[in-house]
Amino acid sequence: MMFRKKERRKVPGLNTTSTADISFMLLILFLVASSMDLDKGVSRRLAAIDKTKTPPAAVDSKRVIRIVINAENQVTLDGKPASMNEIKQRTMQLVESAGKGHLIQLQSDRNASYDTYLHVQNQLVAAYNTIRNQKSMNLFGKEFDLCSNEQQTQIADEVPIRITEVYVASNNNDVKKGDTK
Amino acid sequence: MKFYRSRNHEIPALNTASLPDLIFSILFFFMLVVHMRKATVHVKYQVPMATELSRLYNKSNIQYIYVGRPINNLGKVEGNEMVVQLNNNITTVPEIKRYLIQLSAALPPEQRKQLSVSIKADRHADMGTIMDIKQALREANVLNVNFSATMSRNNKQK
Repeated sequence: MMFRKKERRKVPGLNTTSTADISFMLLILFLVASSMDLDKGVSRRLAAIDKTKTPPAAVDSKRVIRIVINAENQVTLDGKPASMNEIKQRTMQLVESAGKGHLIQLQSDRNASYDTYLHVQNQLVAAYNTIRNQKSMNLFGKEFDLCSNEQQTQIADEVPIRITEVYVASNNNDVKKGDTK
Repeated sequence: MKFYRSRNHEIPALNTASLPDLIFSILFFFMLVVHMRKATVHVKYQVPMATELSRLYNKSNIQYIYVGRPINNLGKVEGNEMVVQLNNNITTVPEIKRYLIQLSAALPPEQRKQLSVSIKADRHADMGTIMDIKQALREANVLNVNFSATMSRNNKQK
């Protein structure tokens, strides 16, 4: 007679049916608590405010482009209405012909829309990027973004971004000039 | 002799053992791709489109400024005039300047240079607000600005 049965205990399998639900919960938590928008944008560097009011160096009028955005969001380039493409073309021409001495004046009405302003800025940045890319292609055989730090500073030195923006104050009509580098 | 056995018509249960793994992989994908919201946005804005975009690096030294129409808790637009939000709450432009001056005074000099501002403004915002913000940034000596925008695929502008 056997008192004991042969002991062969089987560990029961862990019930994992709810793991899917748990991970769904986590997934939904992440979907709710996070955002997918990438932080991308047009990077600019504002000009530092000069405390020593140096008079602006005289710039040859041939080397200046004046872009004005009026309250109706119309863009004029040296007094003539211009499309976005023209702005880019003219900027590229100017930067290539005048080199370091060029200057772009950008003035915007206080009632103009930000959209128009950013489009103009975008075109200016596009013009500079194109020229810098060409230059780095010629010099180093690769695009500006792929160049090393020293190479980038060398090119940035040869093709400086020279945009001044006119600041129109809201209540009083004093006009300050800001160099954007 | 029996040719036909009594057939079992029950459909076998679907094996869901790999379902958790599947969902976990989706979860990990989202955890990698997505980044957490830092601030509650109290304004409604739609950033303009541009082509020359660069990414923001060094996230720890970025302050966010939002410009748009105010919304309430339910996400409904409440007003028509543009308001300015800095990081987490709605402020005014002089307040931004004061905050940034305080902030940059507390930072060590090498980090002060890296301090930058991301402006997420609505495309219908008026330039007056933007100009005031820019001037405030200049006065606070925070000079790196990133105008947030989305990539426009088609280049037909006008």
